[in-house]
Amino acid sequence: MTLLEVQGIVKQFGGLTAVNDFSLSLDRGDIVGLIGPNGAGKTTAFNVIAGFYRPNSGRVRFGGRDITGLRPDQICKLGLARTFQVVRPFGALSVLENVMIGAYARTNDKATAKAKAEEALEALGMTGLAERAARDLPIAGRKRLEIARALATEPQLLLLDETMAGLRSAETDEVIEMVRKLSQRGIAILLVEHVMKVVMSLAQRIVVLHHGEKIAEGQPSEIVRDRQVIDAYLGEVESDAAR
Amino acid sequence: MSAVKNSASGPKPARGPLGRLWHAIWADWDLMQLAISVLLVVAIGFAPLVIRSPYYLGILILAVLYGYVGISWNIVAGFAGQLLIAHIIFIALGAYTTVVLYTRFNIMPWIGIPASGVVAAGLGLVIALITLRYGLKADYFALFTIALMVALKTLFLKWEFVGAAVGMGLRLNEPSWEKMIFSTKEPYLYIGLALLLAGILVQFWIYRSKLGKYFLALREDEAAAAALGVNTSLYKTLALLIGSAMGGIGGGYYMMYVTFVEPPQVFDLGLNVELVLAAPIIGGLGSLLGPVLGALINKPLAELIRGTLTAGRSGTTLIVYGAFLVASILFMPRGITGLIQDGYLRLKRRLVPEREEEVRRDIA
Repeated sequence: MTLLEVQGIVKQFGGLTAVNDFSLSLDRGDIVGLIGPNGAGKTTAFNVIAGFYRPNSGRVRFGGRDITGLRPDQICKLGLARTFQVVRPFGALSVLENVMIGAYARTNDKATAKAKAEEALEALGMTGLAERAARDLPIAGRKRLEIARALATEPQLLLLDETMAGLRSAETDEVIEMVRKLSQRGIAILLVEHVMKVVMSLAQRIVVLHHGEKIAEGQPSEIVRDRQVIDAYLGEVESDAAR
Repeated sequence: MSAVKNSASGPKPARGPLGRLWHAIWADWDLMQLAISVLLVVAIGFAPLVIRSPYYLGILILAVLYGYVGISWNIVAGFAGQLLIAHIIFIALGAYTTVVLYTRFNIMPWIGIPASGVVAAGLGLVIALITLRYGLKADYFALFTIALMVALKTLFLKWEFVGAAVGMGLRLNEPSWEKMIFSTKEPYLYIGLALLLAGILVQFWIYRSKLGKYFLALREDEAAAAALGVNTSLYKTLALLIGSAMGGIGGGYYMMYVTFVEPPQVFDLGLNVELVLAAPIIGGLGSLLGPVLGALINKPLAELIRGTLTAGRSGTTLIVYGAFLVASILFMPRGITGLIQDGYLRLKRRLVPEREEEVRRDIA
């Protein structure tokens, strides 16, 4: 069954069309990569799917239900969780409390929330950091905390927005492994990512956005050979790597 | 979490019940704050044995009230991060509700004060609905509450039923428990302390529950909270309802103690700063101990400055008091509680050195 069905969403800001007629479908257990140059509309598409923006037209269906226009918290409760590209930890709270706030989406009981939060922290290898203030975490820790919090809401679909950006290579490998494990638990994953190594090693399918429009969709091996994609995006990545 | 906790409580397992209680409190900063707050309440309870002067008891009574009102504001502004600057409107409305019910309808304050909480919560709900409907946040929200205070002041100045510009007072003949009117200060102090203790417990319960954690999430980052399933509108409204209801109750008690109310006195930003904002800010906004500790320093200090400086040029009092507030914000951004917490953490680290090492190992 199709878990997420995005049907021709359009999002305009004033005269600017950030996302134009974008469609996407995703099944349980899928890992789909969303790539494209800066300003291609990836994060905007995320914001529309997760309920932060209302699209000008088009529908988003999740688990067979139309979720267009629902609030982010309602969408979260239906099982669609997201992380933010610019991490947003609750700085004054401990790492455990941060994750407990995610877990409270499913329970009102403190002990249950704590147990679930500890589980999520363990999945991200953060057990030893539970009592630290979130603001004291280094960037790699904050990125993991974003995922742990989202995971604690018990999502069926996780939207990861540039989770690996700014991480060192070894850290990236670790997070890739964690994401793969989440996927094996049956959580579908849609990831926006600039680090091509991540997309190529994780995604079964890649969607390429350019100027707000989908210019290609397919398996990683097809995408890297797509002329349009190379012109619009991958060429740019190579020059990035050369810098 | 469990690993860290175990190492902290590991070394000496054999203890009596009191020892275990102390250890549980010592291990948990929230419980420490609760324990200190309750000890302060108990200590104030014994104060009349030492303090006989009605003047000093009066200061203590107001300090207790400031602590309670400070808690009500701390929940809205300190926990949920809502810039409800003119919180005094709930105190004012509570005071008016209690006195109107008493003098016009002969309803005793024991019912009138809870009713004041309900009326104030009604205003809180209206504020929540309006600000959410028009998306007023942060500084706009703050300005809205101030504008509302000015509007209410004008309304109450013209409104004959509530005494208009003359204000309203209590008939003080025949003191009795039933009317909550006393000829000595002690009963006021104990009623105030009961209120403060209730406030301390409510605040603690909120802070430790899902409700409180959602409030903190709102304060820290609204968008992130929404993404994690927090209905931001609902929880903002709940914070306002709790803060305004508690404020209204405090206003009712304030009325019974000061016995007189008029619009320029209660719809006033100066009183707002002294009665509502100062204690949590000096004590540590968002902390559990802050409002109580801040009030016990703020009120006596304000009185002392007023007492010693009023004889000189008028206005000196406000300059000195204002300078003190500014200095405490600049040099103690987390308030006195922040300083105490730093000391507590340092002491704890020295007593249990392995804890830090363990954390360091985990990070590496």
